[in-house]
Amino acid sequence: MRYALLVYGDQSAWAGLEGAEATRRRAESMPRWLTLFEEMAKADPGVAGRELVAASEAKVVRVVDGERVVTDGPFAETKEQLGGLFVTTLPDLDEAIRIAALVPTAETGSLEIRPVVER
Amino acid sequence: MTAPALEAIFREEWPRAVAILARVLGDLALAEDAVQDAFAKALERWPRDGTPRSPGAWIVTTARNRAIDRIRRERTFARKAELLARLEVISTDEDADVSTIPDDRLALVFTCCHPALAVDARIALTLREVGGLATNGIARAFLVAEPTMAQRLVRAKRRLRETGIPFRIPPDEVLPERVADVLRVLYLVFNEGYAATTGDELVRRDLCAEAIRLAKLLCVLLPDEPEALGLLALLLLQDSRRDARIAPDGELVLLADQDRSLWDRDEIGEGLHVLRRAESFRRPGPYQLQAAIAAGHAEGTDLATIAAVYDALVAVDPSPVARLNRAVAIALAGDAETGLALVDELEGLDGYPYRHAARADLLRRLGRAEEAAESYRTALALTDNAPERRFLERRLAELGRSGEHREQPSG
Repeated sequence: MRYALLVYGDQSAWAGLEGAEATRRRAESMPRWLTLFEEMAKADPGVAGRELVAASEAKVVRVVDGERVVTDGPFAETKEQLGGLFVTTLPDLDEAIRIAALVPTAETGSLEIRPVVER
Repeated sequence: MTAPALEAIFREEWPRAVAILARVLGDLALAEDAVQDAFAKALERWPRDGTPRSPGAWIVTTARNRAIDRIRRERTFARKAELLARLEVISTDEDADVSTIPDDRLALVFTCCHPALAVDARIALTLREVGGLATNGIARAFLVAEPTMAQRLVRAKRRLRETGIPFRIPPDEVLPERVADVLRVLYLVFNEGYAATTGDELVRRDLCAEAIRLAKLLCVLLPDEPEALGLLALLLLQDSRRDARIAPDGELVLLADQDRSLWDRDEIGEGLHVLRRAESFRRPGPYQLQAAIAAGHAEGTDLATIAAVYDALVAVDPSPVARLNRAVAIALAGDAETGLALVDELEGLDGYPYRHAARADLLRRLGRAEEAAESYRTALALTDNAPERRFLERRLAELGRSGEHREQPSG
């Protein structure tokens, strides 16, 4: 079964950090990310994942009455923003939950598991 | 063969057959449909041709063949060949000994009680798939229309499929929490039949009996789990008081005022026996401790000892409800002041009628009638249960009559 694992977190917390502090934190959490990537590759060699640029850089596009309307920033003003995502094929939901819990930012943010519709 | 005998076979064989088909097909809805077909066929054949030598194997084999028919008729071709190939593993021998077929019922239980399902969906699925209850029976027990319950079941089965909820026994690292989820579902089924007093009494009695039957099955499937035994003991001991807790006029009768000759002695004996077995594991847990409290009441243990068991219960289950019960136990054991202080320091129970009812009772015992009346009114505002309302109203009226009369705490 294919699942999208959506990584939500408070990106403004990152944005507020000094450059050196952000680098230090990243280095600190790196071993755990590497463990995650290893586990994910073991469970599904075809796993795909990407980190997204901060939601504050996002453009929102809508078509209103045939007119293209482009605005800045995330659509909804929530504290937790989508910061990245994985798409991976796993045997079942329990395995998806196990993998999701290995994502380091699950401790400060949250992981949303969404099965992918297969047709 | 008589209808009840047939029904007994059906109830026994239903979860076994559904579990086998569901494991092989990986689809609970399809499994259930095939087994349902097989049972319909049995109902037509058995009374005419006699019960087969191995009813379980007959059901599984027939369900397998019905599943093949159903899959062949399906319009979407994608999964056809794969599903048909999977069904090959099931024996076609109608006379096979059913005990040689691997028992997947435990996996079925865990699937039906998966935490990714809504609680009411878990309850409905468990009763349908593990209990083998018909949809209309479950609907009656939960006082909802049959189409509503059918919808709930369809949605739950769709969710199993769409989210990839696995059909298997959970791995060791999550097993304890998943066992706790299963026990909770069975406890909720029992409570639905026990606590609520609206609806058909016979239907509710059946629901309690079903919860006990399922708890017994779980004890067989999880023989090394003392909490499963603890839950079974608790259900038996609570059920033993069923006839004493509602008066002939429909009024609620508190434990202390119950006619003990109405308690079911056999059920108490069974409950105590199961509790001893659970305790022999020396791994106490919330259900065993609640059963120990129920056992204490059944055996007439003094209230101070019972209050001490509540201390142990709060240590493993520090939830506000457990702490409320402990506070009441301490008060009933003679220390109403301490009990009241403990009730007052509880947080997060403002919307829980029993908290206010308990507080009112303690204030009444302490002779603080005005405050007691206020708490009874708060409790009344929070409950719709008719016998409970009448009980609270009666207490409130008595307060007015006795005025400032100071009643001695009992016990």
